[in-house]
Amino acid sequence: MTLPAHLNRRFFLQTSAAGFATAAATGLPASAANLQPVTFQLSWLHSVQFGGSYIAQRKGYWEEAGLDVSLSQGGPNAPVEPPVVSGTALAGISAADYTAAAVAQGAPFKIILVAMQKNPFAIASLSENPVNVPGDLVGKRIGMAVANTPVLQALCTLNDIDIDAIEIVPTQYDPAPLVSGQVDCLLCWETDLPVAMAVNGVDATTMLMADHGYALHSQTYIATEDAIANRRSELVSLLRGEVQGWNDYFADTDAAAALTLEMFPDAGLNLEAQQLQAERQVPLMTSELTEANGFGWWTDETVAANIETLALLGRDVSPDLWDRSLLEEVHG
Amino acid sequence: MVASRSVLWLAVALIAWEALDRALHDSVLVAGPIAILGHLMDNAGLLARATAETARNAVLGFLWGNLAAAALAALVVVVPRLERVVSALALLLFSLPLIATGPILRVLFGPGNGPQVTLAALAVYYTTFLALLVGLRAVSQSWTDLMAIYGRGRWSTLLRIRARASLPYLVIGLQIAAPAAFLGAMIGEFTGAERGLGVLTLRAMRGLETEATWALAVLSAGTAMAAYGAIGWLGGRALGYVPVILLSASRPRASRSFAARLIEAAGIALLVVALWQVAMDAFDLNRFFAKRPGDVLTFLATPANRQTLLAALGETIAFTIPGYVAGLVMGAGLAALLVLSPPLERATMPIAVALRAVPIIATAPLLVLAFGRGFTGTMVIVAVMIFFPTLVACLQGLRQAPGQIVDLFGLYSASRWHLLRSVRIPAMLPAFFASARMAVPAALLAVTTAEWLATGRGIGVLMAMTASTSDYNMLWSCVAALGLVAAAFFAAVALVERAVLARYAPEQLA
Repeated sequence: MTLPAHLNRRFFLQTSAAGFATAAATGLPASAANLQPVTFQLSWLHSVQFGGSYIAQRKGYWEEAGLDVSLSQGGPNAPVEPPVVSGTALAGISAADYTAAAVAQGAPFKIILVAMQKNPFAIASLSENPVNVPGDLVGKRIGMAVANTPVLQALCTLNDIDIDAIEIVPTQYDPAPLVSGQVDCLLCWETDLPVAMAVNGVDATTMLMADHGYALHSQTYIATEDAIANRRSELVSLLRGEVQGWNDYFADTDAAAALTLEMFPDAGLNLEAQQLQAERQVPLMTSELTEANGFGWWTDETVAANIETLALLGRDVSPDLWDRSLLEEVHG
Repeated sequence: MVASRSVLWLAVALIAWEALDRALHDSVLVAGPIAILGHLMDNAGLLARATAETARNAVLGFLWGNLAAAALAALVVVVPRLERVVSALALLLFSLPLIATGPILRVLFGPGNGPQVTLAALAVYYTTFLALLVGLRAVSQSWTDLMAIYGRGRWSTLLRIRARASLPYLVIGLQIAAPAAFLGAMIGEFTGAERGLGVLTLRAMRGLETEATWALAVLSAGTAMAAYGAIGWLGGRALGYVPVILLSASRPRASRSFAARLIEAAGIALLVVALWQVAMDAFDLNRFFAKRPGDVLTFLATPANRQTLLAALGETIAFTIPGYVAGLVMGAGLAALLVLSPPLERATMPIAVALRAVPIIATAPLLVLAFGRGFTGTMVIVAVMIFFPTLVACLQGLRQAPGQIVDLFGLYSASRWHLLRSVRIPAMLPAFFASARMAVPAALLAVTTAEWLATGRGIGVLMAMTASTSDYNMLWSCVAALGLVAAAFFAAVALVERAVLARYAPEQLA
């Protein structure tokens, strides 16, 4: 992060020409007043899950682009869609299924960047009683939020499994029911509960649903049609900073984890867990597609695969839910 | 002597706890006192900052909520005609689930502590309002008659007579409010707050950090206990109050026709709908997530939507009634037991305060493990979430037994049971019914929480679904349905209350 704005300005005033030279040389904006304040709504509590955004903020990538970005944390009762639809946030982090549902409810959202190429949903189990393939789910007790039943249903349909052969146990999003033996497996993200178990020495196995046909973009950035039309340059600048931040992240995930702890000392984060999470989400966020075209990219083919999965989730979606034009400006 | 015995019992409890933890070796659900202490020491700075943050929001919410409660209660006593309207609005506001209010508060307040303070205030105003209303009416008819003879008005009576009579009940209200405000501030952090004990609890549970989860629970419980104890101590010093006999003549009840009641109920319903619409419009809340009454009506006009809602509502009500009764019986029964055995009170109250101050998401996993996900488990979760106000109110109510009558029973060597049955329980009734009314919306919200945490059925799950489906029409339909059920339930409790209090405490019937 650069110096706080008031210090910058005082420095600038006191040192006149020298100040100019310094500011110009380091690429600092001459005055904070030129920066456009925008809010970016994250989908969950601060963690290295959003590491690229923290790098963009700390290294001043957004300031260079003329933005003063506030990263607004999510939480259990802080859904992403309301602030974005209200305009209190310029953009937010959602997932293709959430966005499709919101659009069906009348929200004018478009997906403008796909951070997770592979869906992070996974089935976690203890290695002594593992779920390695979808067929292993038969006869097992799965702990999950009942609200996620459509996700499990889609996995079952994709792999010809009778969902009634699986016992759904409503649990909180917490690894304890699995570790204490109340359930045989959990429906969770590859990058959070399994990481917690690994850090605590629990030998767990995960089966990534994306490896079994569940093609669904996640950690997708959304904005309203209105914002895309009227605040386009701000959105492009926001995405540009994100791309720069995430490229740095992929180069050194440990540094991203350390930065996360440094920026949020009150969040109660564990360095080891953050490092492991940072590492584990890289394969979900990078692909041949992003290697060739850059961070956040997608194609008509991946969109078609998403639409098939969304149909299994009961969502009828057209390809124009995705709008790549902003990202094309960034990478172009 | 008493103090040293307490310390001894505390030591025994701690050793038993540690032994349990060692016996459950490798458990991810229980941490022992030594491990907890270690975690507290290793993370002292972080935990102190989080506690300070949550406590600050809780104190602000406590102040605002109780001020609002006092203003509402005074208004109702001075203008009794307003009672039904004010009570209905207060009840419905309290019945709003966090899942509906959370996003609205965050959009309204933006970043910062606005939602946490608001939710802490919302968590306390209703219980204090009901307790204070009982207190303001707990005056002997002879006093109010005397004021009337001297030509003093209602305000004068409020300030000179009623305010003083209400003090013991105000203390109850504030004692109930202390852990509630703390919990409200923690839950408020779930709306996207950056720091505080609630945020850390979420993180610790997901991170399988059992020691951290328990350390956070101990901190929350300890802070709430300290506040509860301090208010009780201050109240005890300030009151120096000896309960007196409130012999009030029972008045002929102004019986209102069924039609008049119906018109009144319809009037209140219209007012609520109008306020709902106007409030959302005034703050220009986006229709996507802040649904208006018209949206809900249109949504429910579709038979499929209506059926989904009604089926879930049926499941929820089926759990609410036994859960409600379980909570009341647990609270009132425990209060009676504690009055019979004061040493038991010193041992029990800290646990009761702790259960009230620790978020249910932290306690539910243990309760579910012990009692299952079926009927028993759900009942236990609901009872744990709602019994505390009943316990505190009934405990204080039992102590409202007039000293002269207690002395008389003493002279005749009446047994403790006899005294309890003939004197203390009748004296407790106004407080009991106040807590019975407090428990109505609390039981409904508790059942929806238990559904989400344990059973996976009912309105609670329907509402939780909106997080991923953005089905805010269904969410607000659920909110409206819960409000209607709470109002009907409340009316039924009030009916029983009036019948009973007409005989035992007619001064309560305005």
